[in-house]
Amino acid sequence: MKSYTSLAGRYLKEQRKRSILTVVGIVLSVALISALGTMGQSIQDNLLQRAIYENGSYHFAYSEADSKLYGEMKNNALLDRVGAIHDGPKTKLDDTFSIQVNEASEEAFGLVPLHLQEGQWPQSPDEIVVEKWILPYLPGAPKPGGETELTGPDGKPHRYRISGILINSAADQHSASSSAYTLMRAEKAASLPEMTLFMTFRPGVDISDHLPEFQSKSETFSANNRVLSYMGESTNDNTNKALTVIFGTLIGLVVLSTAAVIYNAFHISVLERIRQFGLLRTLGATPRQIRNLVLREATTLALIGIPIGLLCGWGALWLVIWLMVANGFQILQMESFQLQWHNWIMGGSVAVGLVSVYLAAWLPARKASRVSPVEAVKGAGSIVQESVRRSRFPSLLQGFGIGGKMAAKNIRRNRTKFRITTFSVVVSVTLFIVFHYFIREMFEMTAASNEEDRIAFSVYGYEMSQNGTKSFVTNDMLKKIAALPGVDDVYSIYQTPLVNAWIPSAKINPDFSELTGINFETVTQGSESYQEASAYFKLYDAARFREAERYLVSGTTDPQKLDQDNAVVIVQTVKTGLRDSEKPAIMELSRLKVGDKLKLAVPDDYGAEKPRAKERIAIEVTVGGILSQNPFDARYQRTDLSVIATEGIYEKLAKLVPKELQADYPARASLIGFDVALADGADAEPVREQLNVLARTIPNGRVIDVAANQKEARQFTLQMQIFVYGFLTVIGLIGSLNIINTVQTNLLLRRREFGLLQAVGMTGGQLKRMATLEGVWMGLIGGFWGLVAGTAISYFLYLQLDELQGMPFQFPWLGALVACVFAFGVGLLSVQGPLRRMAKANLIDELREDG
Amino acid sequence: MNVIEAAGLSKIYGKGSTRVEALRDVSFGVAQGEFVAIVGASGSGKSTLLHLLGGLDRPTSGEVYIDGENLYALKEKERAVFRRRKIGFIFQSFNLIPVLNVEENIQLPLLLDHRQPDKGYIRDLIATLGLDNRRKHLPSELSGGQQQRVAIGRALAYKPAIVLADEPTGNLDSANGREVLELLKLAVRQYHQTVIVISHDMNVAAEADRVLRLQDGRLVSDTRGVSRV
Repeated sequence: MKSYTSLAGRYLKEQRKRSILTVVGIVLSVALISALGTMGQSIQDNLLQRAIYENGSYHFAYSEADSKLYGEMKNNALLDRVGAIHDGPKTKLDDTFSIQVNEASEEAFGLVPLHLQEGQWPQSPDEIVVEKWILPYLPGAPKPGGETELTGPDGKPHRYRISGILINSAADQHSASSSAYTLMRAEKAASLPEMTLFMTFRPGVDISDHLPEFQSKSETFSANNRVLSYMGESTNDNTNKALTVIFGTLIGLVVLSTAAVIYNAFHISVLERIRQFGLLRTLGATPRQIRNLVLREATTLALIGIPIGLLCGWGALWLVIWLMVANGFQILQMESFQLQWHNWIMGGSVAVGLVSVYLAAWLPARKASRVSPVEAVKGAGSIVQESVRRSRFPSLLQGFGIGGKMAAKNIRRNRTKFRITTFSVVVSVTLFIVFHYFIREMFEMTAASNEEDRIAFSVYGYEMSQNGTKSFVTNDMLKKIAALPGVDDVYSIYQTPLVNAWIPSAKINPDFSELTGINFETVTQGSESYQEASAYFKLYDAARFREAERYLVSGTTDPQKLDQDNAVVIVQTVKTGLRDSEKPAIMELSRLKVGDKLKLAVPDDYGAEKPRAKERIAIEVTVGGILSQNPFDARYQRTDLSVIATEGIYEKLAKLVPKELQADYPARASLIGFDVALADGADAEPVREQLNVLARTIPNGRVIDVAANQKEARQFTLQMQIFVYGFLTVIGLIGSLNIINTVQTNLLLRRREFGLLQAVGMTGGQLKRMATLEGVWMGLIGGFWGLVAGTAISYFLYLQLDELQGMPFQFPWLGALVACVFAFGVGLLSVQGPLRRMAKANLIDELREDG
Repeated sequence: MNVIEAAGLSKIYGKGSTRVEALRDVSFGVAQGEFVAIVGASGSGKSTLLHLLGGLDRPTSGEVYIDGENLYALKEKERAVFRRRKIGFIFQSFNLIPVLNVEENIQLPLLLDHRQPDKGYIRDLIATLGLDNRRKHLPSELSGGQQQRVAIGRALAYKPAIVLADEPTGNLDSANGREVLELLKLAVRQYHQTVIVISHDMNVAAEADRVLRLQDGRLVSDTRGVSRV
């Protein structure tokens, strides 16, 4: 030994177990912070990429811009890319379909949400990109690479070579009108009187600072707000502020808990050795030398723990994602995950780890250096301050025999240590609850979807169905298609007539009218007063009802039961704009419960003469089931009550409709087509072929093909789900390990005490009961405070999220329950192993060990 | 000149009803090379006195001079350094550092001072203590008597001005106790050390050049040359 400083290393080496437990504490904390950072960053990247895919990568745009503005943008030093699109005239291809050839500058192709499926962007004004679905309807039905003649942007016929194929747009297919794009030379853009401009800022420019000056240049200014929000550069200051507060809170929480966990690990280790430090003081060690010793230990532990922590965090993430991809998320491949190594996150984790370690070491080191040497030589054991405070309430643990009595005494006697240990349970529980709450709300706001994102194709046959006689859709056809390989399910599409919902006045949510400023009209029938809201009225077949069950809040979605009870399924949650702010809010339109009655009515303004104004046509139905959201189409309606009914219920209403309205309210519910949902990862091509063959046999049959977009959307949803669940798994995992580590450290440090108790005749069983009860108590108290802190912070986050989108606060029951049960169980189980080993260990050795 | 001068030492613990006067106006001096025993019933203030002599605690009033240096006029850090260089401690419960071996424990005070130990002297010391074949052993591998011998070695390593021993034989059987005592006496003879021992043990008092008796915090007798009677 060359110097006293080697003492630090000696302590670490000789007390290997304790050192390992402390290192594990550091590893877990650094792993937690690096994993959370990486995960959070990946989620943000993913959301941003999705927003760019759907909305384009431009930052702001001007419509109806002239060449002067174009020139001004081109020469603006703040801007990076400027793209221009000039819309051409719409030309009819036949009775149904039309196309519009637009011209776009080279930059524009990268700025707007256009996606190539194959081929390349047009390289000259003689080339064109078109959507795949319109190809057969173009003159000469060209193939990719072929040629066709269309009306150009200048209104004159032009021959184009098809250089690339765009991914199909659902909206274009429904409106039977497609857009094609050709290249516009920059010189031309500089001379056009009217076009739409798309701009991005140069990297490094503070976007939100500079947007207002561009906004003032033209009234046709519009910002790409979704993309900007994810970049933290929204035009809305409230949004930016809320996002800053949210992420500040979350990062602060993680950093604090990391520091706290490391602090605990270290604090316990130093606290227990305080006598040793006192001893060194009697030998003439200065306080500074003692501090140096402790800090040296800290450095060694940090140097070992931090790099391992980084690797573990990364490894845990990789493992969780790999496991999820390997089990059931076949659509995704590991390569499609951009689990990127972000230097700033890793650097940040190292910094937080180091600062925590030194902070954690500094305070106990100071305490150690101030230990009075007299106390050190006097005391036979540890110098921990013992509380003499008597509690007025007898502890609950007293009721568990001698083990319980001892446990209660131990906890009371050494409150500091108990608090430190419990604290790590609190931290784990709080973290889990807060992140569980936050990540679910965030997912709900940004990435949640419904069954609609599984639908790749829809087949319609318009003419036949509108006659209301006989549908082309037969059960056999549906069965055959459902049996095709890769098809997940097939859902009928019914013609849906307009229906209003009469909601008993008392059942309208008063907040809805208050916040939105929407007041429904009152109708009175008999003694009942109703509010007449428009209904989003849909008929479901059995297959759709099956999917709906997943969204069931209460009641049933069984069509037979609904028929029997004369019942419908409703979605009363809506997402609507608030009266005094721009933000949307999720709220309940009405407060109907299962079993409540409402009426379905034919709107009174039906037809020009409003013939139904006097005697209204309405049937009474019961609420049979309530869903949290619509299983198909948009998840929420804006101001409509969604009413989902069986054929039978509809036909009851149709029976009352007079003859002149029967074209719109056919007596039998009529099928006009069907949706085809693909299984995840299935090959769409064979299904597409089959459906096209089928469509040709139906008069006016059409296949709406959104398979490419559907796959993208579905991948996004699944990827987000994996991130979210991966995130929670990693938090749960690290949290549990942290509790185990703390509990075991606590036990290890008390080996001598346990040995003493055994020496005076405590049996192994009594000892076990004592330690277990202490663990249980720790889990209970830790769980309780974790729950309080977790809920409080969740509520704080809710207030911030509410700034972005109004919504009701949902108490994080699930997260809370999972976290508490876990904390409790892990605390209970993790004492068993060390206790068993301890029971086997040599009593004398434990007593001798100078602690 | 006296190597230790205690002047009017008082120590009061607590306040009000819990007030305890552990030491009341104790004054005495000890010359270089003396082997002094402090005796008294338990609670008489022996340990308090020893702690004050060693600069571990602060007196309520009074002063301690060691080698002419006023111990309590020094700053905390200076006192630590002074303790390291001038005072050797021996405790009843040995108080060795469990992670250091015999040799390292003995050298520790020197190492705290960033000094390289005088190898010859340390070897000599270890031989004198009879720990030659235990040099690399950890405290947990030694008997109580051996551990206490290490503690004596540690106290002597820096050739301090005084060695303070608090019940050094209290945890030992009589054979080991006698051995420890012999070693302390040897230190007085061989290295011309000043040794102050606290003890209940009348054997210890019997071996001392001088016996100070404490009762209720007061110095009640100061007898010289007991061993020669």
